[in-house]
Amino acid sequence: MPVRWRLSRHARRLVTLALAGLFLAVITSRPEFAGIAAPAVLLLIPVRSRRPATVGVTLASGADQVIEGEQGVIAVRITGQGDVTAWVRLRPAAWITPGEATLGADGWFQLPFRAELWGTRQPGALEVILHDRWRLAEGRIVIDLPATSCYPAPARMDSLVVLSKLPIRLGEHAARAAGEGMEFAGVREFVPGDRQRRINWPATTRRGTLQLNTFAAERSQAVVVIADVSTDVGPAGSSSVDLAIRAAVGTTSAYLAARDRVGLISFGRQVRWIGPAPGRRQARRIMDLIMTSSDAGQQVDAMTRLPHAALPAGALVIVFSPLLSLRMVEALRELRERRLATVVVDVLCAEPSVNLGLRIRDRRAIELARRIWRMEQQAIRFSIRELGIPVVHWDGVQRLDEPLAPFTRRAMVNRS
Amino acid sequence: MTPTPAGRQPGPVLAVALLAAGAVAWAAVPMSGARAGARLALVAAAWCAVASVARTATVIASERPGAARRRAGRYLSPDPGARLELRSVLTAAPWAQGLTVAVVVLEALHRPRPWHTVLLGVVMLGYLLALHLAESAAGPAALRPQLPLIIAGLGLAGLAGGAALLPATSAGAGWLSVTAALAAVIVAGLALPV
Repeated sequence: MPVRWRLSRHARRLVTLALAGLFLAVITSRPEFAGIAAPAVLLLIPVRSRRPATVGVTLASGADQVIEGEQGVIAVRITGQGDVTAWVRLRPAAWITPGEATLGADGWFQLPFRAELWGTRQPGALEVILHDRWRLAEGRIVIDLPATSCYPAPARMDSLVVLSKLPIRLGEHAARAAGEGMEFAGVREFVPGDRQRRINWPATTRRGTLQLNTFAAERSQAVVVIADVSTDVGPAGSSSVDLAIRAAVGTTSAYLAARDRVGLISFGRQVRWIGPAPGRRQARRIMDLIMTSSDAGQQVDAMTRLPHAALPAGALVIVFSPLLSLRMVEALRELRERRLATVVVDVLCAEPSVNLGLRIRDRRAIELARRIWRMEQQAIRFSIRELGIPVVHWDGVQRLDEPLAPFTRRAMVNRS
Repeated sequence: MTPTPAGRQPGPVLAVALLAAGAVAWAAVPMSGARAGARLALVAAAWCAVASVARTATVIASERPGAARRRAGRYLSPDPGARLELRSVLTAAPWAQGLTVAVVVLEALHRPRPWHTVLLGVVMLGYLLALHLAESAAGPAALRPQLPLIIAGLGLAGLAGGAALLPATSAGAGWLSVTAALAAVIVAGLALPV
């Protein structure tokens, strides 16, 4: 890549001292000012030393996928610089925190950075700085870095909401029905055909007849996560969309790790969805749906009902929403009509702000409007609870287990 | 010489501040015998010295580990926005060059005192080198390859100071002017885009 060389700041200062001294020596006919200029003139002599017109810059791949808040590393190698000193620096884009570059023994610069907000964006520009031996000339190359996918940091969720009635599908949740699982369910009388190894000898001795241990069946469930991204309120980084997305990623990861079938509905201007499925590939598909902001999907205004393919009967539905969109409230009503077990996690953490520059009368009017807005929000949440849909609040800081604790302690009853 | 911004210490900034203050004070005293305009040059020199030290401290602080993280993702109210504007002005303006010119002009506005001027040149050179080391986060050892040039330059400065003590004649003064002008042309040639 071609290098643009110019005088360094140090060299420009030396030139200033030299010119000022010599100019005053001529003007005032005082040779001591030429003496002031002499060291600067001599120090400027090596400025004409040979410097490379081009250098090679190699960028290693590997920093194209990072997780929000975690460190990524850009590996760069500079070749063909000769005896010129090379250094690299990251000119960060928004929401990128650069680290200090280090030069490894293999000649590769390791340039760490941290993406502070999820999304697909360029981490910035790579700046290669070259200095000659005397630091009198400075060369710079600026290279735009390729876009990096920064995945949202998943909200932590250790305990799961499990339905009381689980479909007959092998999984990891202990069902009410007896089966071949690991969790002890009870003791019953032995009938011919039962496995002898399951005989409970202490109970048999007490009761005088053969007693058998029974175990709970282990089933999986279908979980559909709805992330409401139709309204984005609050400061960037902790806005309602950020919280909804982090919670959705954390929830889908937790349920997929428990071998459940998990689907996602992104409820924005377009409604995009992935039907429930298990496995690691599903996790990748869900992440891709979150990261891409395409116009694919159904327009929310043109849609009358939520997609049936994405909401199988008997599924557990967890909704992350600021509950500011009436479309979302209608969708919740529809979920209730379909008798789907639904939990709403309210991710609204912001209120309309009051401009302090306004007159007192206007500020009072705005304060009144804000109170009305608060009451309206309370009414919306009350109406949803009245439908039989629990609403809990999550602030984005605590673990998701805390607001969901009432539903994780025991199985959530579903009537479908 | 490899820059290591992570290991920057306040020591170089202190050296820059002391040398800048020393240069301004040395060029200023005594103010009583100075010609008109000396007070203006002194104010300009003092202002440039303060701004230059502040700029150096700002540049070093901005390259301290974690400084970028503290900046990232902040929503700026108008007040910090204005502060950032002030900071960008502070870091963009060539305060060190301004200080150099102001100090040399201030010295020229005093009556001839050759050794005093030569010593001022030494202090100014020290200031520029200290500033260079502070900005590049290098130790004094980085100047070792340039040591012969610095010594030769100081020798020339001493010769110039000695020449100034010789009795001046009209022919000598003209020769000096022509030599200084030629040297200025050489410096200008060196400073052309490389």
